[in-house]
Amino acid sequence: MLKYTLRRILGMIPMLLLISIVVFSLALSMPGDPFGGEIDPNNTDPQYIEEMREKAGLNDPVHVQYGRWISNFMQGDFGESTRYKMPVAELIGERMPNTLFLGITSLVITYILAFVMGMYAGRKPYTTADNLIGGVNYLGLAVPSYIAGVFAIYFFSFKLGWFPFSGSVDITLQNGSFEYYLSRLHHVFLPAIVLGALGTASYTQFLRNDIIESSRKDYVRTARAKGTPETKIYNKHILRNSIIPLITFLGFDIVTLISGAIITEAIFTYPGIGQLFLDSINNRDYPVMMTLTMMFSFLVLFGNMIADLLYGIVDPRIRVD
Amino acid sequence: MQKKKSFYWLAAMLLIMSLFMAACSNGEDEAGAAEDDKKETEGNEGGEKAAQEGGTIVYALDAAPEGLFHWNWYGIQTDAEVLGLFDDNLITFDEELKPQPNIASWETEDNKVFTFKFQEGVKWHNGDELTVHDWVFSLETLAHPDYEGPRYTNVQTVEGAEAFRNGEADSISGLEVINDYEIKITFDKARVNNLLNLWTYPMNRKAFEGIEVADMEGSDPVRRTPIGTGPFKVNKVVSGESVELVANEDYWQGKPKLDKIIIKVVDSTAVTGALQNGDIDVVSVHPTIGKDVEAMENVDLVTAPGLSYYYVGFKLGKFDNEKKEVVEQKEKYADKKLRQAMMHSINREEWIEAFFGGYGDVVNRPVPTAHWIAADNDDLNTYPYDPEKAKEILDEAGYVDTNDDGFREDPNGDEFVVNFSHYATGNPTFESRAKALTQYWEEVGLKSTLEMIEVNQYYDMVEKDNENMEAFFGGWGYGADPDPSGLWKSDQLWNYPRWVNEESDQLLEDALDVEIVGTDEAKRKELYVKWQQIVNEELPMLFITELQEIYGMNKRVGGLTLDVSGFNSAHEWFVTE
Amino acid sequence: MAEVINDTSITKIKVQKSLSPWAVARRKFLRNKLAMVSLFFLMTVSILSFLAPYITTADITRVNIGSMSLTPSSEHWFGTDKSGRDVFTRLLYGGRVSLLVGISCTLLIITFGTLIGALAGFFGGIVDALLMRFTDFILNFPLLVFVIVLNAVFFGKLGGVPVLIAVISVLGWGGVARLVRSKILSEKENEYILAAISIGSRPAKVIMKHLLPNVLSTIIVQATLTFAAMIVVESGLSYLGFGVPAETPSWGNMLAASREPDVLQNMPWIWIPPALTLVITILSINFIGEGIKDALNPKSLR
Repeated sequence: MLKYTLRRILGMIPMLLLISIVVFSLALSMPGDPFGGEIDPNNTDPQYIEEMREKAGLNDPVHVQYGRWISNFMQGDFGESTRYKMPVAELIGERMPNTLFLGITSLVITYILAFVMGMYAGRKPYTTADNLIGGVNYLGLAVPSYIAGVFAIYFFSFKLGWFPFSGSVDITLQNGSFEYYLSRLHHVFLPAIVLGALGTASYTQFLRNDIIESSRKDYVRTARAKGTPETKIYNKHILRNSIIPLITFLGFDIVTLISGAIITEAIFTYPGIGQLFLDSINNRDYPVMMTLTMMFSFLVLFGNMIADLLYGIVDPRIRVD
Repeated sequence: MQKKKSFYWLAAMLLIMSLFMAACSNGEDEAGAAEDDKKETEGNEGGEKAAQEGGTIVYALDAAPEGLFHWNWYGIQTDAEVLGLFDDNLITFDEELKPQPNIASWETEDNKVFTFKFQEGVKWHNGDELTVHDWVFSLETLAHPDYEGPRYTNVQTVEGAEAFRNGEADSISGLEVINDYEIKITFDKARVNNLLNLWTYPMNRKAFEGIEVADMEGSDPVRRTPIGTGPFKVNKVVSGESVELVANEDYWQGKPKLDKIIIKVVDSTAVTGALQNGDIDVVSVHPTIGKDVEAMENVDLVTAPGLSYYYVGFKLGKFDNEKKEVVEQKEKYADKKLRQAMMHSINREEWIEAFFGGYGDVVNRPVPTAHWIAADNDDLNTYPYDPEKAKEILDEAGYVDTNDDGFREDPNGDEFVVNFSHYATGNPTFESRAKALTQYWEEVGLKSTLEMIEVNQYYDMVEKDNENMEAFFGGWGYGADPDPSGLWKSDQLWNYPRWVNEESDQLLEDALDVEIVGTDEAKRKELYVKWQQIVNEELPMLFITELQEIYGMNKRVGGLTLDVSGFNSAHEWFVTE
Repeated sequence: MAEVINDTSITKIKVQKSLSPWAVARRKFLRNKLAMVSLFFLMTVSILSFLAPYITTADITRVNIGSMSLTPSSEHWFGTDKSGRDVFTRLLYGGRVSLLVGISCTLLIITFGTLIGALAGFFGGIVDALLMRFTDFILNFPLLVFVIVLNAVFFGKLGGVPVLIAVISVLGWGGVARLVRSKILSEKENEYILAAISIGSRPAKVIMKHLLPNVLSTIIVQATLTFAAMIVVESGLSYLGFGVPAETPSWGNMLAASREPDVLQNMPWIWIPPALTLVITILSINFIGEGIKDALNPKSLR
């Protein structure tokens, strides 16, 4: 297992390098100077521009520029945001907690919903409630998150006034007070539900099917024959076996959460990484854009790897040689 | 969110064009010189309101500041808005944008040598007294070879600045300190606008002690712990999110009535909701939501004449930035009659009402109405909406429909299409407002197309005279300096239409020539009016509208006034509950 | 491209009368009410959309300053938007673009994915290794992120719908390739394939004649899922402002109007029609896909 893990991690390196080349070439081919943040746009003197280009190394051959960028990048120097005039790492660091908070809340919501629905449907399959849960899941899979988000804002924020429709916290509250955290929770709830609903369907379906399947297994029959109460059978024996495979979903969740966060944060104007990414594109803030693109790609790679590894742990038969 | 981008651009443009942008945005307009002018903008100072001692207001920004909180380095309008609350300009501007004494007053005989006199006892937030040495320090910083900001031009005209920058001198010879409160500044030559061009923001010497000029931009006194001389002190900066300001008890114009101002970034989509809920007290409002804000019971809408105007420009030539001249003429829109007819065909009132909620006025010249050099509409062609007249002019000029396709051909009988470009930011109203303009032209028989181009690329194409740019939409901001040369002289890069007119160039030069105008403002205005008449007749661009500055203000806020130069000094602001 | 996990029926197969497998499938599909209703809906939407120019006479691009933001009435069934354009008309025209993007992307993705997958699966060895590394490479790009970045690169240079289709397709075929490869791999082991190869049939012929028809059902099902997913991608991108250019009506662009709180809160007639149409269309496509899957699955009854 350790060997396999190491191999997977090593295998990521050439992939990341390739991706970095793609990201770099994309930034080069974008309109305007990708690394020209230092050039003052108000000064049109051709000589000044030339001087600054030289200074910023924009006249070096492309591979030299790439080399400089990637070596800085590996050392954690992502450059400086041309828009906020501060180190990209700091900027991302500021926004990260919001996105993490959103992601974790949505995962919690996903788990709670999926467990309640999945266990119920698994215990009472082919009933009306099961069909209803199936239907809801189907909707959850088919309805795009941004449409769900738009409707959620319309009904829960505008019509009912239950939740705020934008931002991450009430701006007037003192940082760190109890109300402050309450307000953050209040703000994150609606986007987290929309984001969390995305994952719920697959979890629920998996849990349901697994429970149905398990309930026909020998060990369950044995337990039944011994007179163990049904509740105990389901909550203890079956659930324990069904939960383990579920953790393999976690890797994929990382991937879905990324694209989900971009869209959800845009709808709810929630100040996280996703919004920072869209802003950086709109404002041609290339250092931020490149760093985030690299980061997202890395997370996808990482998520896929985690999924594979967990898969191997859960089901040793699948382990790839 | 998207919509704001054009305003960044506009803000950038404001900077570009006017070296005195700062002056009109910080708005320490001290005493209301023309009270009657302000009355309509204040819905707030009714007698029923009693000022409360202390209190806090939330001042919202609809875009995140860059966090460059010093005048010498700031880049965008949002930062300037924050700066205006905690750092005072030495001079100020009235509602015609004429300079007025603030901390400093001045005297000059010849527009070459100025003597400035500072108020005594003005304190920096760190307790230091403001003296002329702080100003010298600031000017020498700008002239320092390591200074990379855009403001060297504001000291360049001081005698000896060039030598200082080149390292040939240890100080700027034109700066002559008489005593702590008096300084004599000598310019390299007499100019009408020497004072307006001069940088009038001092820098605290102690705060920047030991920091090399090259490192100043990223240093704490610029980013994290800025200090100034204004009515409020910076207490806390949360980058990109909020700034907390507390009252400066020792403010030279008197103790502020408020305890605190919290500046918070609020997404533009959330502005209406936040105003409605009373979460924010003061915020700049986009014209399209002006009507919604006006309807709110707890909010007043305050407006002031703006300094920006929108136009439709025509590419009349091609510019060579190396040679600094227009090197090639383009024929397509060369006929003045065509441009005039296009102007007549636009129903500007209707257009402004539809796309700016009516918070704008028709403008016929490239100078905002509020400015003291603005020509009266009686002296100009006003080009009222008149499609019949437009058709007549087109017929006269030879643009007639020869092949019966419903659209006019050019005088040679060739197909004529107005290819109109507008920038795109994702804001859907941009497309419809641009489309509406093309429809006006189609109504008088000019076939028109519209292309929406991504905003960053758009201005690049405009600047480089890209072949696809023919008729283009744009906006300019205007500063306190009345001189429009930067946008209109034929040797300027930002003369986007590439309009070459000798008489215009001559008038713009004359208006700056001390030999001709001296210190006679009336004479200067006369020249500018003449110039505006030429531009108005020639129409290298169709002037569409000048927008108003609109702010939403919670009714509990009082003592706050707005005019063309910005807000009054914040020490007069108060809350009533 | 999430696949719905269905519990496969465990009942044993009953022997059908001697109908061809396709005829069996067709009969099963025709009996599936949900799928038929969905098909009907999808056909109606498609026909209405593609015949839009003949159905309504309203000028689709014209800005009508006099009639902005009107509520639904007999003249404007779904009201007008902020530019004074008829929402119903735009909905029809928007369908043209959204469906066109969906179909084009699906065709490209399926074609390319199948090609790569089939080649890799059939030849195995070094070809397989190379092609699959390439597929992995593509799969590792977060689709949404890179489509947005690529769109920013090309926006205005080439412009519009074709670029969008190309970008999505280039980044989207990885999943299909993997799926087809695995199917081909298992199909390849069958004796009739081995026989065909052993008598010297050319690889192209084996793939086209023998392998593909046998994985066709998988591809068809995958195509419907892709189709739905691509419509979601297009409208999502357009909603964010990185999809179809704003001046071209598409369902996503119409929905983007709801990003203005004013429209979202007070003018639901502008965004609810495209939102509902999108949801029902996507549901329909999914139902049809499920129907086809069921119908082609010899194990399922119905």
